[in-house]
Amino acid sequence: MLVSWEWLSDYVDLTIDHEEMATRWALTGLNHESTELVEGVPVIDLEVTSNRGDCLGHIGIAREAAVLLSQTLRIPQPAPIESGRDAADQLQISNRYVDGCPRYIGRLIRGVKVGPSPEWLQKRLRAIGVKSINNVVDATNYVMFECGQPLHAFDFSQIRGGQIIIRRAEPKESFVAIDHKTYQLDPDMVVIADSERAVALGGVMGGVDSEVTDQTVDVLLEAADFIPLAIRRTARKLKLHSPASHRYERRVDSQQLDWASKRCCELILKIAGGELQKGMVDTGEKPFAAPEIYLRVDRIIKVLGIEVPWSTTLDILKRLGCSVIDGGANGTATILPPSYRMDLTREIDLIEEVARIYGYDKIPEDAVVPMVASARRPKDTMMQTVRNVCCGFGFSETMTPSLIGKTPASTISPWSDIAPLSTMVPLLEGASQLRRSLVPSLLASRLHNQQQSNKDVHLFETSNVYLPVASGLPKEQFHLGALGGDDLREIVGLFEEVVSRVCGADLLEKEIQREVVSWPFLQPESGVQWTLDGHVLAWAGVVSRSIVDGMKLDASMGVGELNLDRLLTRAREVPRLQGIVPFPVVDRDLNLIVDESLRWLELEQAVKSAAGPLCVGIAFQEIYRDTKKDGEGKKRMLFSLQLQSATETLTSQQADEVIQRVVGRCKEQFGATLLA
Amino acid sequence: MSLSHFLAALDELVEDATRSLASVDSTETLEALRVKFVGAKNGALKSVQKLLASVEVPDKPAAGKRFNEVRDTIQAALDAAAAAVGGTGSGKASGPKLDATLPGLRPRLGQLHPITQTIEHLKEIMGRLGFSVTEGPEIEDTWHNFVALNIPEDHPARDPLDNFYLATANKQSASDHDAMLLRSQTSTVQIRVMESQPLPMRIISLGRVYRPDAPDATHFPMFHQMEGLWVDRHVTMAQLKSVLRLFATSYLGSDVNVRFRPSFFPFTEPSVEVDYWWNGQWIEFGGAGMVDPNVFAHLNIDSEKYSGFAFGLGVERLCMRRFGITDIRDLYRSDVRFLRQFAS
Repeated sequence: MLVSWEWLSDYVDLTIDHEEMATRWALTGLNHESTELVEGVPVIDLEVTSNRGDCLGHIGIAREAAVLLSQTLRIPQPAPIESGRDAADQLQISNRYVDGCPRYIGRLIRGVKVGPSPEWLQKRLRAIGVKSINNVVDATNYVMFECGQPLHAFDFSQIRGGQIIIRRAEPKESFVAIDHKTYQLDPDMVVIADSERAVALGGVMGGVDSEVTDQTVDVLLEAADFIPLAIRRTARKLKLHSPASHRYERRVDSQQLDWASKRCCELILKIAGGELQKGMVDTGEKPFAAPEIYLRVDRIIKVLGIEVPWSTTLDILKRLGCSVIDGGANGTATILPPSYRMDLTREIDLIEEVARIYGYDKIPEDAVVPMVASARRPKDTMMQTVRNVCCGFGFSETMTPSLIGKTPASTISPWSDIAPLSTMVPLLEGASQLRRSLVPSLLASRLHNQQQSNKDVHLFETSNVYLPVASGLPKEQFHLGALGGDDLREIVGLFEEVVSRVCGADLLEKEIQREVVSWPFLQPESGVQWTLDGHVLAWAGVVSRSIVDGMKLDASMGVGELNLDRLLTRAREVPRLQGIVPFPVVDRDLNLIVDESLRWLELEQAVKSAAGPLCVGIAFQEIYRDTKKDGEGKKRMLFSLQLQSATETLTSQQADEVIQRVVGRCKEQFGATLLA
Repeated sequence: MSLSHFLAALDELVEDATRSLASVDSTETLEALRVKFVGAKNGALKSVQKLLASVEVPDKPAAGKRFNEVRDTIQAALDAAAAAVGGTGSGKASGPKLDATLPGLRPRLGQLHPITQTIEHLKEIMGRLGFSVTEGPEIEDTWHNFVALNIPEDHPARDPLDNFYLATANKQSASDHDAMLLRSQTSTVQIRVMESQPLPMRIISLGRVYRPDAPDATHFPMFHQMEGLWVDRHVTMAQLKSVLRLFATSYLGSDVNVRFRPSFFPFTEPSVEVDYWWNGQWIEFGGAGMVDPNVFAHLNIDSEKYSGFAFGLGVERLCMRRFGITDIRDLYRSDVRFLRQFAS
């Protein structure tokens, strides 16, 4: 809301300078955006919150200033001189859409001389950025920016039948507005029609046929109360936002209609001449019944934490226009708010008024805040570990939008087969799918870095995925997603460390079930899935060639995802000491020639079971291929066993026995031969 | 000389040498021992070697083999002792010279996203003020996102163009009571916790929120908020101001200039906007207020008995100020040249 300092001074003596005043307004609810000098006059931009429609005119702003400065507010009392015949004999108004327009007042001025406005008026409008049209239209705008009530002037000669009908728009009715554009209407919209056709879109815009032009002689002046919801829907739907619709959306003061109508007529008579016809046509004044609000001083103390003197409280409310009835000395009062403050309906509304005028700065900032225990959640403890491991492993944390677009990668959805949810409006261009996996986003991130020639990109993200369910809110599942280089073991190793740190090495080694998976978005047989307690915990794999090519990535890479919600169910609070075995560990290396098709997982299981309880660790070393010596389709798997007894120092004979059992089993089960 | 005597002499020598060399603690002693055992002229090894000549011919191969073993063992013990005292000891460098000025080995570590760092910082500060962390869903129904927050059906905040409603097969209308949307504010969590947790409560919740803003340097359609809520029998606006002042001082510094001005939110009354002074102007850093009695009424909490305050702060703005980030879009581009700058 732009406010001219010069214009304001019509209504209140501004006893402080405009900069100080702007700060006072800001600290009492009208936030100061900026101040500019226009033709030497300070023009102040104040932010008016949506509950304060009363401040969308200079008088409303002046009222706030008067309250803050303890000055008297001067509201002009319009008394336009009526002459001619009764307006009611010349104009009929029928309201068929009271729900959309509770009240409509028409006044008629005949014989105006349309022309430019006087300079003082043009200057005031210029100051607040309003273009001068002609004296009649300017008068309606002037009064709107004075008191906040929109007004509309029709060329009465264009109102056929001398009849105004307020009605719903017909289905598929169209309307040409002042901007010469044609709008398609719908039955929720309020139409102002004459006996034949729509002449205005109520509260939003006038029609091109009936606008006031240089040829206009007789003017019908509309002052109406339109319902916020109807106006909001119309303005949104047609993308027709105007100062008038802005005010109607915040509700206008129905009790002020007649004042605004008379005020505007007075101004038109003054600057455009003409004869105001006697009386007016009013579709019906709705009697105003202010809500009686019971106010208690102890309630004010309870909410604000300070005591505002009772007399000050009542004084503030009175200055704001409230009537105090039954304002007993016992610290309670019944308050009637003024008609222009429709936002005041409850005790708490009054307490806010008292607080903001008394000054938020008078509320202390050193109140006691009692101590309470606030423990860190297990989830936060887990997340610290997860992040530490990821960073320690060289992965950079990223954050990516929760919605993705359709790309070759958006088919990656190992956690749900149900089609993704989508939003009606995309988050970013093309991105309207709620992601079911973090990996598509990580691949898009990888591509972005590739385009920037960034090397060695290792990324992780911890975020929700959104899995559709049959009904109700979707399942939000908290995941760790990771993207590495071409070696999948980076991702697997990262997840192993995360699980081991969060849940303990025992859980990783003994409870996680691993299986190879073949999914279309991964290279054949490159995927592995982990389950825990019968639920999928994690997966990892190498991205398929078709996705790599489809996204124009320059290499394939390992990716994976771990369900942190699932992990949290088994997170340990703190590591517990397991005891230390005092006997040394014996390391034995093994180098087996095996078939190419043998997987480590199978080998490890066989070795574990053959080795028995003395084997406390199996460490993979490397895979080596020497087809000349070993033949086609063979590979060497190098690994070591850690052997230890909990009760004695192992002899080399005991160790040899274990190794023999292992070698024997591998030979029997896989046809493996030991390389000496 | 008999073989057994020769071998006994060797055994004695090797035992003496390894024992002495094992406890070397300076280059001086090391040098002395080197001269004593392997000195070219009168070293002990040299002396024993001379005895080799007098060993009977048939025994010579065995004696020679053992001598070589002993010589190697002593040399190894010398090398080990030299390494232990940090010098080459013998003066004869065994391999390329170490350049201690070469850069160190530094495996590349990752780093946390600046938003994560900010969120952890905020949790830490609020934790010290007694606020526990809680969470709520990002996808909400209109009850939690609007109705319970005193935002009625006809309120502009519910407009389909200002929210990310979910598209469903059979309905496209945002006015449906069972419509779902990406939450537009973390205030939804207030409702969730008051529905499910016993009073009193002092909680914060941090997470993603979504609003259809065209992306530019200061806007992004997805961002983070910190929501705070304190409900108890005697929570006052003075405590609201005190907590936010403590927070601002903790996060922005003890010299920060903060002001509280009246504002409007449907779910708080009185409402305040909190500004801090930065680079010659007031910057909004969050909204707050006393929980509106209508919100309590929706949750069947007696607002005559309980009162409370709530606040919501934009995480991005706090993060950007702290790390000197000027374009919000950079936060969500995943560019490692950006991410790697926040190693801390």
